[in-house]
Amino acid sequence: MNAVLRVENLSAALPRGGRDVPIVEGLNLTINAGEMLALVGESGSGKTIAALSIMRLLPPGATLTGGVWLGGQNLALLPESALRRVRGRDAGMVFQNPLAALNPSRTVASQIAEAWRVHNGGGKNTARVLELLGEVGIPNAAARLGDYPHQFSGGQRQRVMLAMALACAPKLLIADEPTSGLDPLIARQIMELIARLRRELNMAVLFVTHDLSVVEAHADAVQMLYAGKSVEWGSAKQFFTHPRHPYSEALLGSIARVGQARLHNIPGSLPEPEARPPGCRFAPRCAHCQPDCEAAFPPPSQFGATTAACFYPRPVQDRHAGVEALPVTAPRRFITQLQVQHLSVRYAGKTGWFGAKAAMPALRDASFSLGRGECLGVVGESGSGKSTLGRAILQMLPYEGQVLLEDTDFAALHGAARCARRRRLQLVFQDPRESMNPRLRIGEIIAEPLRLQGQLPQAALREKVETLLRRVGLNAQLAGLFPGTLSGGQAQRVAIARALAASPDIIVLDEPTSSLDVSTQAMLLNLLKDIAYTDALSYILISHDFAVVSYMADRIAVLHEGRIVELNDTAALIAAPRHAYTAALIAAAPQPRGV
Amino acid sequence: MNNRGGLLAGLALGGLIFCLGFIAPLLVTADPYAIHPAYALQPPSLMFPLGTDELGRNELWLILSGSFATLSVALPAAALAFASGVAYGLACGLAPAWVDHVLMRLLDAVLALPSLIVLLFFAALVPLNNISLVLLLGLISWPALARLVRNEALAQRGRDFVLAAEQSGASRFYVARVHLLRVMAPVLVVNGTFMVGDAIFSLSALSFLGLGVQPPQVSWGSLLQSALNIIALDPWWLILPPGLLVFASLLAASLTGQGLLARWGNAR
Amino acid sequence: MMRMVARRLAASGLSIFILVTLVFFMAHLTPGGPAYSILGLKANATSVAQLNARLGLNQPLLQQYGLWWWHLAHGRLGYSYLLNRPVGALLWRYELNTLVFYAIAISLSTGLSILLGLAQGVYFGRWPARLIGAFQLGFYALPPFFIAAMLVLWACVRHRWLPASGMVDLRLAHPGIASYAAHLVLPVITVTLFTTASLSRYFGEAVHEELGRDYVRTARAKGVGFTAILFTHVLRNALRPLVTMLGLSLPYIFTGGVIVESVFNYPGLGWLMWRSALAQDYPILIAIVLVIGLLTVLGNLLADVVNGLLDPRASYE
Repeated sequence: MNAVLRVENLSAALPRGGRDVPIVEGLNLTINAGEMLALVGESGSGKTIAALSIMRLLPPGATLTGGVWLGGQNLALLPESALRRVRGRDAGMVFQNPLAALNPSRTVASQIAEAWRVHNGGGKNTARVLELLGEVGIPNAAARLGDYPHQFSGGQRQRVMLAMALACAPKLLIADEPTSGLDPLIARQIMELIARLRRELNMAVLFVTHDLSVVEAHADAVQMLYAGKSVEWGSAKQFFTHPRHPYSEALLGSIARVGQARLHNIPGSLPEPEARPPGCRFAPRCAHCQPDCEAAFPPPSQFGATTAACFYPRPVQDRHAGVEALPVTAPRRFITQLQVQHLSVRYAGKTGWFGAKAAMPALRDASFSLGRGECLGVVGESGSGKSTLGRAILQMLPYEGQVLLEDTDFAALHGAARCARRRRLQLVFQDPRESMNPRLRIGEIIAEPLRLQGQLPQAALREKVETLLRRVGLNAQLAGLFPGTLSGGQAQRVAIARALAASPDIIVLDEPTSSLDVSTQAMLLNLLKDIAYTDALSYILISHDFAVVSYMADRIAVLHEGRIVELNDTAALIAAPRHAYTAALIAAAPQPRGV
Repeated sequence: MNNRGGLLAGLALGGLIFCLGFIAPLLVTADPYAIHPAYALQPPSLMFPLGTDELGRNELWLILSGSFATLSVALPAAALAFASGVAYGLACGLAPAWVDHVLMRLLDAVLALPSLIVLLFFAALVPLNNISLVLLLGLISWPALARLVRNEALAQRGRDFVLAAEQSGASRFYVARVHLLRVMAPVLVVNGTFMVGDAIFSLSALSFLGLGVQPPQVSWGSLLQSALNIIALDPWWLILPPGLLVFASLLAASLTGQGLLARWGNAR
Repeated sequence: MMRMVARRLAASGLSIFILVTLVFFMAHLTPGGPAYSILGLKANATSVAQLNARLGLNQPLLQQYGLWWWHLAHGRLGYSYLLNRPVGALLWRYELNTLVFYAIAISLSTGLSILLGLAQGVYFGRWPARLIGAFQLGFYALPPFFIAAMLVLWACVRHRWLPASGMVDLRLAHPGIASYAAHLVLPVITVTLFTTASLSRYFGEAVHEELGRDYVRTARAKGVGFTAILFTHVLRNALRPLVTMLGLSLPYIFTGGVIVESVFNYPGLGWLMWRSALAQDYPILIAIVLVIGLLTVLGNLLADVVNGLLDPRASYE
């Protein structure tokens, strides 16, 4: 065996509220040269802490036990000065959010050169920097040596981070969520770059991510973390075809894929590190839970190339039978409710003392209609104008062109009539916490549209709020709490309840699931689908995630650089994309399993 | 010192000073300004716990009536400044962009001057009495708070929950009342606390310079100034009490404000 | 970069214009007006009218306002009522004294603040930082007039180490640099103490905040040592708020200066302002207010420019 990194029984605890709370417990993993191991877990699973503790980069006050073997040394016991010689030279690291991970006030070249200089000495090393920038695919690198991080695009910044990590040709690359926050097409490029570099440099890669679909194509091995413990690990191939742990199976089933008919959701949410259940951590949310699951943590049992820590592992299933293909039906017919004609939005350029800069149009000439009960998906990368489109329809921005709700142009309305019409268009934001005033109780938040609409007696108001809370699958008792005490999924449901309180015709969903975990996302999407079905609600679903949009939408509009480049029924669009950009989006999205 | 301890200490100290200013003077039976040349410049003793000044006045009585004079001007002034600052800031934050622009330019020009300089300028021009001092301090010390409130209002105004309320037909006034003021409440309380400290400091500084509380009334600042005039005689008992009282007031305001900030800082 | 400076200059120009206008109307619309200030509130109507005519105060307000700009444009700041000397020349002499005093005090407090702030940021949460925090809190709450009084009591009255007031020893025929320096020691200590208290606090917080940023973790992951991270990565980013604070606090340092100069009878601008305020010599007051306003605007501009040099993003926008 040619193991580059061997982690043995690694545990890490962080001080929280005056005591040490275990975040990662008893982690074991081995990565061989040229192999990519995906460490997968939802937020709160401890995956990032696990990655950081390998290089002992934990925040101050953290405690670490266990062994980390790299190049014949146990990093867990190495003194700081010796460890410093290992960091960067034997193991490079890449982090999430490269804009924050790069020093804003030093040039990119000097930061890359530093990575080399720390271990090899020497001066500016321009030649080595150029070589590295070329390796990670920065075009015209020689001209960009004097540039600062903010002058690069998001994807390029992550390439720069990679160049920095590779400066000393390390044996191991630790990549902590390197693709999250990037547009899908860019994320895919970065993923492919890492996979290629691993092959060319025969490097071991530890790839930490919350998104199984990202690593599906490239990982050699997978390790699933749930609430600080490994639940399943082994060969990636077998893991993706035959997951044995109920959590792995459920999580794989909750990923939105192109052309999927129904998403499976996992009830409940991840436990906080302080409140992890005894026994199997997943037991309270598990559909196949037995009484003894809650008594003790299950020992690992091996199944061919994978191992799962479960008393009742899932049987091997025929994947093809499990995939529910999209039923081939004729597109639904709708009565037109909203019409958008030649909609353009121009953000005023910055007006300084020396004249105004030319205004850049954020959205150009968008026209479409939306039927009652229809869901229109709007996909595009960040900066494509998709949020602008949503906000213009909601009358939050000045725009050119017309927006007609039931044949009445908003521009023709004023005062109370306009207010009343506008109320019929509601929205759900990306970040549920940001969309609620932290100092109002849940009950007050949901009651706000009702109260603004007119006088309702206090008792009727309370009853209405409770009905709405139950409608979105929440306990009516939540009304007395503040938003800060809710989980992300619960908070987003409260946001939906608030939108429903205004009894709208159309809800604009602006990235409603992108701040949520995969398992929560599936539940929310299913809830939205049910509500639309029973209430005949129309949605405009704005997202960067093509698979999510295709799961929800009757029709899809593809936005690219401020223009709608393609608009078609979902099935037809997937079957025969007419625009190259659409085709690229579809290709980058998670594909159906077992096909 | 942990933050909770600091907050409690600040509140306790503040309460003590408040009592000293408003309750203790009721216990003074003799005329605090009565002159007794025979007892001039006595160091502290059983008869005069804080000694006497160069006119033979009982320093303890002087300190107590000085505390009342200082606090009865500084506290209303701080309240006035607080109200003006919040009102101006909210008006800027909610007004159309061009009104905000004009109002902020005005504020910039006013902020270009340290408040003590403006205070000195006006104190030289208007007749000084306790009411004019309250107005002076109150109307001059608010621009910094106004700017803070305005910036905060602008930042909060674009937040998603305000947009959601507006989508349901919320008026500007509703947004200000229900959302902005509630979200800003911690910031406002913390800054209000600091303002009380600032008002006490400004008034003491003015009085120290002879342009604050006017004779025959005494205040912490003027007591310190008159002690400084005879400093060659080493009258430490005349310098320490008023100085320590100003120090204690600022400390109380600072500890309370910082304690509240630490407590609420992460609750946004 | 040049664009930004030009834009800031234009904004500063506007600020100064508003400031001049404000000062003019503040002085002319206060109850009583300058004539009463000079003659006292019990002055009779005829003498007030005479004085107003002599000072040109009986003309319409707008005309006076125009005249005021005209005089300002020609550098004529008027005559001091009491000293009966042109304000411009008077001001310059006092300002020079203040500049010397402050140049020393500010350099000293900036250096001290950087040292203390670095220590506080590095040892955050441990005893050295707590000690520094206590120092900051204490000297923030100690009013400068009290610090000054205690220093005089201790160093001049009890021990007679240093002179208590003035700028030079008047008894000496040719006061040398030593005498001048001796007179500066206590004022400089006073200003440095209370300035350092707030400046170092800001800087310490900035250092602590920057040390927690992601790029510091990146540098650690590269194998860069802690000292190198502190000086090559963190320092430059942490200096930005300090520079802004310095720019903003120029006038506030000066404010402390009025008090300190008055305690030590140091003939600077603050002392002049104090004497003029007591004597209600309003042309001098107006001139000083203008000078301080200008200094503030310049201080902010300077801070912006320095920050533009420290932060590549500022000139990018």
